[in-house]
Amino acid sequence: MLVELKVNGFPYRREVAPDTTLLTYLREVLELTGTKWGCLTGDCGACTVLVDGEPVVSCLQLACQVSGHEVTTVEGLDTAGELNDLQAHFVSNGASQCGFCTPGMLMSAEALLRNNPDPSEAEVREALSGNLCRCTGYNKIVDAVLETAKARAMAVSAVPDLSGSSSSVGS
Amino acid sequence: MANIDVFVPSTLEEAVAFLAHHGDRAIPIAGGTDVMIDTRIGRISPEWLVDLRALSGLSGIEYDANGFRIGALTRIRSIELDQGLRQRSTALVEAARVLGSVQVRTMATIGGNLCHATPSAEMPPALLVHHGIAEIAGPDGIRSIPLGQLFVGPGHTSLEPGEILVRVTCKAANPSSASSAGSCYLRQTVRWAMDLAGVGVAASIEVDEAKVVSGAKLALSAVAPVPLEVDVVSDMLVGKELTPQLTKEVGRVAAEACSPISDVRGTAEYRRQVVAALVPRALYIAWLRATQNWPVGKLAPINGVLSEEE
Ligand code: FES
Ligand code: FES
Repeated sequence: MLVELKVNGFPYRREVAPDTTLLTYLREVLELTGTKWGCLTGDCGACTVLVDGEPVVSCLQLACQVSGHEVTTVEGLDTAGELNDLQAHFVSNGASQCGFCTPGMLMSAEALLRNNPDPSEAEVREALSGNLCRCTGYNKIVDAVLETAKARAMAVSAVPDLSGSSSSVGS
Repeated sequence: MANIDVFVPSTLEEAVAFLAHHGDRAIPIAGGTDVMIDTRIGRISPEWLVDLRALSGLSGIEYDANGFRIGALTRIRSIELDQGLRQRSTALVEAARVLGSVQVRTMATIGGNLCHATPSAEMPPALLVHHGIAEIAGPDGIRSIPLGQLFVGPGHTSLEPGEILVRVTCKAANPSSASSAGSCYLRQTVRWAMDLAGVGVAASIEVDEAKVVSGAKLALSAVAPVPLEVDVVSDMLVGKELTPQLTKEVGRVAAEACSPISDVRGTAEYRRQVVAALVPRALYIAWLRATQNWPVGKLAPINGVLSEEE
């Protein structure tokens, strides 16, 4: 079965068995091994990726069912090897120990922050409730996500407000 | 999984014909969150998965003056986030938000949750207290049945080979009318997230201008082989004002009406006690909503324990 996916902005076309999961397509066909292979039953969240910006567990997703859609994996977060702000806050907060849960945590957190730039702590915990971590005890991960939200809000408010000066695009 | 093929029908008729022809050897798949696990652990071993996701017209939430209709392919996450539904059926939104995780809710569909027929499933009780009617497409056309008749036993529905659940239609008060109805879904679990209900309770209440109960429904999950409607609630409450004593009495009767099993999520006796505790809370919160004594759109604590200010 031909499965066409845009992964982290790049288009791929691969012939695969019909029952290939998105997780297998990413890890074994495209060799993008950042996405982790954990429980394979949808419980741990280690395999979380974004499909059209929404978080899904790729171990339960047939690749052919999302053919033609856009997928973002942990490999799509950094820019030319430079960690994005969320990843950097994970590092500075010690939010990653063995690191096995980290790609999934990052994708769930990234999806949350894109939809809700100013989440409460409860909203962060809820957004990450499908991602298990056996090491950190979660608090540092939650701190990292909240700090990223704060930093992004400050970056936005630091941009000079040019609205109203010339055009009214988007109003 | 060993070499399962995937068939992608382009119309509902094609899906029905394929499923009717292949019988047990073909299983419909939508969000995949149950089917993929079932095939992986060998609970089912189909030769074909029939991918329903691309079928048009089976997804979405619509309202009219009498209630709402939800297409079978509608995601649980869409139900959770739907503002119109939040006003018409808070119970359904409260049931959606506790199902699985964000990832699972993003993938899973309401039709899949119903047709998997897990006794602890979240969607059935919430739809039952809104008089849910299941619309089913099959080789002989469309038929409609009360949703309760869909469930036959754990993992078993009354769907015949080739039949596909396409839509559920529910009754609910229109929020722009002088709304006098409210509903609520509460559950008990060991963990707050990624857990199945130990007990789930949905209630709906309608009141007249004098705040006398004019309609009441109650449905339970995880305490019988199928989602359980407690019909006697209407006899017990209609024509009366809701009092703590009365809701406790309904809780006691509901605890007797159910037939729970003992498993990892609790003993049968414990489950009965949880039913007796959750039913009065769910009825009370539904009544607060019906009498406009509850902030519009605000969801209840998952176990229904209200703080002082609530
Ligand atoms: S590997 Fe997919 S949820 Fe655990
Ligand atoms: S850092 Fe080890 S599982 Fe989370």
